Amino acid sequence: MTATKPTRPGPPGGGTLLLWLGGAVLSFLALFFVITVILRQMPDPIGPRADLFVEGAQMTLKLTVVSGLIGLLVGMVAGIQKTSASAWVRAPANFFVWLIRGTPLLVQILFVYNALPPLLAAIGLNVQLDEFWSAVIALALNVGAYNAEVIRAGILAIPRGQTEAARSLGLSGAQTMRTVVLPQALRIVVPPLVNNVVALLKDSSLASSIALLELTLAGSRVSSESFQPIPVLTTVALVYLALTSVMTLFTDQLEKRVKIATR
Amino acid sequence: MNVIPRALLTLTALTLLATTAQARTWDDIKKSGTIRIATEGAFPPFNLLKGKELTGFEVDLANQLAKGLGLKVQWITQPFDNLLIGLGQDRYDFVIASHGITPERQKAVDFASPHYCTGGAIVTKPGGPMTAAALKGKSVAVQVGTTYLENVQKVPGVGAVKTFPKDTDAQAALMAGRVDAWVGDKFTGIDLVKAQKGKLVQGALLFNERIGMAVKKGNTTLLKELNTALAKSMSDGSYAKLSTSYFGQDVRCK
Repeated sequence: MTATKPTRPGPPGGGTLLLWLGGAVLSFLALFFVITVILRQMPDPIGPRADLFVEGAQMTLKLTVVSGLIGLLVGMVAGIQKTSASAWVRAPANFFVWLIRGTPLLVQILFVYNALPPLLAAIGLNVQLDEFWSAVIALALNVGAYNAEVIRAGILAIPRGQTEAARSLGLSGAQTMRTVVLPQALRIVVPPLVNNVVALLKDSSLASSIALLELTLAGSRVSSESFQPIPVLTTVALVYLALTSVMTLFTDQLEKRVKIATR
Repeated sequence: MNVIPRALLTLTALTLLATTAQARTWDDIKKSGTIRIATEGAFPPFNLLKGKELTGFEVDLANQLAKGLGLKVQWITQPFDNLLIGLGQDRYDFVIASHGITPERQKAVDFASPHYCTGGAIVTKPGGPMTAAALKGKSVAVQVGTTYLENVQKVPGVGAVKTFPKDTDAQAALMAGRVDAWVGDKFTGIDLVKAQKGKLVQGALLFNERIGMAVKKGNTTLLKELNTALAKSMSDGSYAKLSTSYFGQDVRCK
């Protein structure tokens, strides 16, 4: 299941994608192991609290992966909606992007955490969102809005003739989208989507404001205990850098695999 | 692994670099005529921003002390966990923000004689945990970088301890039912319980602490002046008057 043809990288099959995913999971596990080993050797205030940093980094990655996946789905739906011919389909997506892109992420996180539960309770929905899911909702919606614009641009980049040809061959609108336009558009949008995910990983630091113990809050705890901001903030920055580096290592691979052999 | 010693060296060098700056001595401050004081501004009734106006017991006390020293005051508000770090970087001359005097903090800064005594108390909804023993398995909200965090973590069997950037955020989490209890200053707790009228109750004291103003490590001249001014205020009755107006009692350490 592993071999792709050496001459021309075909579309990524289920097997290669699985391999890629497995590689990413293993690399992150290895990364966390390496970070733990290195940080434990550092002097006070880092060494004795190494596990707190690693725990924070794991939470940061978890946040990124979960909200990144949901955000991709949100972006896909809203992006396709925005290219619709019907104003009734476009309007909600336009409203969503306008609202999310026009307000700060920090406000959105605080809103979901502090304001959403009482609002939902007022209309009879009694949900208690914990810190993690509050952050996930805010982050997923936020990255979703940016993804929507990326995906819309990708769809618009496919020449109109393709759609016309598909339709004249008797494909329905949905079929055209699914089999002709989207497969081409998705290849175009991979690099900007990766950009959004890397930004998401860093933006997840704002979740520290709702007491979610991710990397930034772990750092600020240590910094306020030890009064040594320089080693702590340096460590936090380096761990973020390590996380984004491993992540881009794998997304670069993904980009190579989905690249169409044009340039 | 050649990387680790080098990283170590760099970090040490950076730390040294940051600590070479000089704090303003008492003579410098007196010459300039203005003293820069930092507080949090989110810790009623001790220091609180009401709109743009900084009020509270500690703010009034510091203003009183500065007046006694013949100085004008420039107030600076900062997040609590930044206050002592900023002091180390000479962003202000001293900090008055209800810092409990602990050995860890004494390693980083020098404290003046305590300007009041208090304790960390549990606040919960009616029916919630009221004692340290009852906190077993319960989730507790505290502010990051505080003595409450350390002391709650010491409670055997305590459940999740959630740290919020501000005390008011931690209290909001309690009000929203996200945690079982909030641990914070005894007097702040009394104020909060009063303001929420029956929705919250105050439980036992977890620990006692002495609260002091902090100056940068080694700034002995300023520390001496602050202590003298505080002692004068305590002996001439102005401290007692101020304390009674806020708490209905004298809160100095006995």
